[in-house]
Amino acid sequence: MAKVAVRPESQVKKEKKGRRSENSTRDDKSQVKEVSSGRNATLRKSKVNGQEFPEDEVHDDPVLDNVDPGLADVDGSASDDIHEVVEESDSSEDEVTPRNTIGDVPLEWYKDEEHIGYDITGKKIKKKEKQDKLSKFLDSTDYSKSWRKIYDEYNDEEVELTKQEAKLIRRLLKGKTPHAELDPYSTYVDWFEWKDAKHPLSNAPEPKRRFIPSKWESKKVVQYVRAIREGRIKFDKPKEEPRFYLLWGDDSSLSEKTRGLSYIPPPKPKLPGHDESYNPSLEYIPTQEEINSYQLMFEEDRPKFIPKRYSSLRSVPSYENAVKESFERCLDLYLCPRARKKRINIDPESLKPKLPSRKDLKPYPITCYIEYKGHKGAVVSISTEATGQWVASGSADGTVRIWEVATGRCIRMWEFGEAVKHVAWNPLLQIPILAVSVGHDVFILDTGLGGEDEKKKVKELLHIEAPTAGEDFANTTSPVSWLLDDSLGGLRLKHPKIVSSVEWHRKGDYFSTVMPADILEIFPPLYIALLFSVGSKQAILIHQLSKKQTQRVPFKLHGLPVSSAFHPSRSIFFISTKKNVRVYDLLKQKLIKKLETGLREVSSISIHPGGDNVIVGGREGKLCWFDMDLSSQPYRVLKCHPKDITNVAFHPSYPLFASCSEDCTAYVFHGMVYSDLNQNPLIVPLEILRGHSSSNGRGVLDCKFHPRQPWLFTAGADSLIKLYCH
Amino acid sequence: MDMDGDIEQNVKRVQVRFVTNLQPPLKVPTTAIAIPSNLTRLGLSTIVNNLLKAGSSDWKPEPFDFLIDGEFVRMSLEEFLIAKGISAEKILEIEYTKAVLPRKQEDPCVHDDWVTSVDGSNPAFFLTGCYDGLGRIWKDAGMSTHVLEGHSGAVTSVSIINPRGFESADQIHVATASDDQTLRLWKFDADFHSNKTAHVNGTADHPRKVVAYKILRGHTASVKSVSMQPSGNMVCSGSWDSTINLWQTNEFDAEGDLSFVKKRKKGDAVVEPQMEGEAVSTLVGHSQCVSSVVWPQPETIYSASWDHSIRRWDIETGRDSWNMFSGKALNCLDVGGENSALIAAGASDATLRIWDPRKPGTLAPIFQFSSHSSWISTCKWHDKSWFHLLSASYDGRAMLWDLRTAWPLAVIDSHKDKVLCADWWKGDSVVSGGADSKLFIASGISVQ
Repeated sequence: MAKVAVRPESQVKKEKKGRRSENSTRDDKSQVKEVSSGRNATLRKSKVNGQEFPEDEVHDDPVLDNVDPGLADVDGSASDDIHEVVEESDSSEDEVTPRNTIGDVPLEWYKDEEHIGYDITGKKIKKKEKQDKLSKFLDSTDYSKSWRKIYDEYNDEEVELTKQEAKLIRRLLKGKTPHAELDPYSTYVDWFEWKDAKHPLSNAPEPKRRFIPSKWESKKVVQYVRAIREGRIKFDKPKEEPRFYLLWGDDSSLSEKTRGLSYIPPPKPKLPGHDESYNPSLEYIPTQEEINSYQLMFEEDRPKFIPKRYSSLRSVPSYENAVKESFERCLDLYLCPRARKKRINIDPESLKPKLPSRKDLKPYPITCYIEYKGHKGAVVSISTEATGQWVASGSADGTVRIWEVATGRCIRMWEFGEAVKHVAWNPLLQIPILAVSVGHDVFILDTGLGGEDEKKKVKELLHIEAPTAGEDFANTTSPVSWLLDDSLGGLRLKHPKIVSSVEWHRKGDYFSTVMPADILEIFPPLYIALLFSVGSKQAILIHQLSKKQTQRVPFKLHGLPVSSAFHPSRSIFFISTKKNVRVYDLLKQKLIKKLETGLREVSSISIHPGGDNVIVGGREGKLCWFDMDLSSQPYRVLKCHPKDITNVAFHPSYPLFASCSEDCTAYVFHGMVYSDLNQNPLIVPLEILRGHSSSNGRGVLDCKFHPRQPWLFTAGADSLIKLYCH
Repeated sequence: MDMDGDIEQNVKRVQVRFVTNLQPPLKVPTTAIAIPSNLTRLGLSTIVNNLLKAGSSDWKPEPFDFLIDGEFVRMSLEEFLIAKGISAEKILEIEYTKAVLPRKQEDPCVHDDWVTSVDGSNPAFFLTGCYDGLGRIWKDAGMSTHVLEGHSGAVTSVSIINPRGFESADQIHVATASDDQTLRLWKFDADFHSNKTAHVNGTADHPRKVVAYKILRGHTASVKSVSMQPSGNMVCSGSWDSTINLWQTNEFDAEGDLSFVKKRKKGDAVVEPQMEGEAVSTLVGHSQCVSSVVWPQPETIYSASWDHSIRRWDIETGRDSWNMFSGKALNCLDVGGENSALIAAGASDATLRIWDPRKPGTLAPIFQFSSHSSWISTCKWHDKSWFHLLSASYDGRAMLWDLRTAWPLAVIDSHKDKVLCADWWKGDSVVSGGADSKLFIASGISVQ
């Protein structure tokens, strides 16, 4: 029994050793597998070798401590020695119990003796008293760990396996590696540099077989030769002629046959018809008149062939143009370059950009419901009051009128006697006043709308004007003199040049006036000098109503100013010249941006209520949308109008914008600006509003949105104002 | 009816029976008769007239309108039956009523300026407002009895405060709203009889001038619409400042709050103290001009606004208890029809829409009438009939509608310009005023 218990251990060990020799490079922890029962064998070896290793070196690995510390760094050949040493130093019990020294002899020899062997000093080691089976059984039932006990016959003692040892055994029994951490299938690291090896791996000479012709190939060749000789394999088979061929088949299919060259079939000559018959029906024969009329036609339009009747085929003369025509045909074939046209089948609808349906973008102005009639001349400019109850209009007949939006009634009228250029309603609700530019003057008019306190306020605002103030301004050589105009009930600002437009700041205190240098039209040679001396800076003035002050724009303009606009929320000022739009910061007094329109001539500008987008209308019917965050080039250019755009407008709250033009139409667009900076504005054309008629070659002159409804007012040269509702 | 029977044999015939709710002289025997199926309203009307003539020899022909299954016949009988899927095999019951048509056009009442508003809720007279800032009381066509003087802006809306109590009280009590941001209340003796004598004496050309007894200030923009409580104790007004104000009409109750402002002398008119009144309460909720207010029941007000919503306000709480978004700027509103619960409104387009607020969860109008070609300026329900409706439009036409057909019953085409206002008067007339400064009266409309 004792031998049986030991043998397997040693066998295991041998196997290990064998394996180790195979892949000696590996750190093989499996050999560690010494259970204490096999210890004495190793012990013996250690005695023989007599080597000693410091203990601390061995105890490095805490995990393996209990089992066999030596495993920690087993390396190659040294592993055995370490192992043994460890074994020796390992257990205190070794010193306590005297060890058997009988050596590797069959234990049977001591079977009948009272001792099991001899210890180092030569004393007999007595056999221990054996327990009877009953007490053994009782022990095993009492003691829960008894299953882990092994009887060591050699030393005649019971050894209790530790948990780790039991685990190792269990893994070994299953045929696994003893340690769970070991990965037997780890990726193989090839540590030999195969590339650029100086010497071949094998120095063996080329094998002979590489120089001997293949036996199987020669056999195959012989087979083929025989087959050819016997006629089983034939070369150049006679081509099979198709028994039937398509008599009326299209010649163009020839191109498929001739693969190499891109053969393009010549155009087919026209097949002869009935009129080319020698005896055509009478209706084919042209009358003499018709033949004469052919002579009057152009050479190219003239029919090439004039049908004639012959009673019999015999009398048909030879065709006089036969040679000429066949020559021409040959020339055609030879000289006319022909090309194969590949038609691409693309649905043109699919090329259109995907735009949302107009139905989803409602409301927007569609139909004209109300007309405001009364003006005698072209209505040049309109402006809506902040609530949308009133609309003011200025006309070329020299009048300014205020209309009630809901009924179309004119409730107030001023006469100026000179064509009105521009009207602008103060954006503040509390101050219902109107700025009107007429010739060289800008009038600030009290509309008389609103309640008592509002009227009082307006009166105060427009009254402070004293004659002394006028002198002051005269002293300071202000470009503009502020006067009180009693007849019209308002202020009058005399400008040095013709004022083309007036724009209010959103707070209703400041307003800007634009004087495009009309001198150009009168004295072209003088103009340039003036432009550089005074013109450029004086062209745009900013006035402050509460203080009755005027100041020049401190920026140098490059070009003729066309219109100006205030930013809807920040202190930014837009000036559009004929070519581009300049954006200035009024606080820092510097140029922020220059928008390159690419238009021939800018006519109008409108700022999106968000302030980051600008639309610019041009004289040639182009409308540019600028996204100022994006670039100084137009984000979109819309070429809609066949004639000049006269005005553009954004809706203050709805995502709409409109342009009106000399072609008597106004276009309404959906212009959605997203707060998400990654999303570009969405522009969808919605509606073409017609209805105005042309007068003196002019069409719609101004368009403005209702401030609160999706409605559009258009002012036409036909002296009408129209309201388009949704 | 028989004449075309022998001419065209292939014309199908239908068995019909004429029934009516009309009084006996207008009743025809209810026996079933066979008539050709290609008859239209005119043909049916001739048949009925012939039947009536057979009953009484001195019968004057009268136009009738015909209903099958509660719907007016507006095409030939055959087409109607096919369109509605009604079987022609059975005896068809055709109900007839008097055709709702203005039979008489009376002389226009000429104003100095555009007529903005009219109220005909009192059968004895009607009241108009005009752009010249005057309100006028008309006893009849062309007979102006009183002129209400005082507004400094155009009168935009008028309302008679004592419509029913007129017979008992001999005082006329009216309210006017104006562009000058005020409302004025007027009260004066309705001495039509004395006026009639004056008329006889040839002084009808000088209607009596009246001065307001109370000025209601509180709005900060033009007042657009005024409407009185059914009891007459209060009026409400909608304005461009997007609020609705409620005002006491009582002359003496709240005397403590009132202040006697000025004493004015106007020509030979009596010196009258003018009081100023302040709003009892303000209903805030609309975001744009309140274009129309109606006060059908003592505790609820309906209002329409340019902010596209119709709201129902509870007077007790001052909150809107119901809110409907219509998508268009609304110009006019009236409540009436079936159980006085339907809302008719004209928006900034050419369609007259009728909603039923009792239907929960739907915003779709139950009726849409779209024969007008421009903005609808006024819509008014007939106060007796559930079906009849009047609308006036900027296209210069006023139309009479019946809910039972999609076509207008009658078109009043007498105006040359926009019709700005219209109302029923005396139950059988339509008064309409417009931008041609005239007020037309179409009478003899037999609404049951």
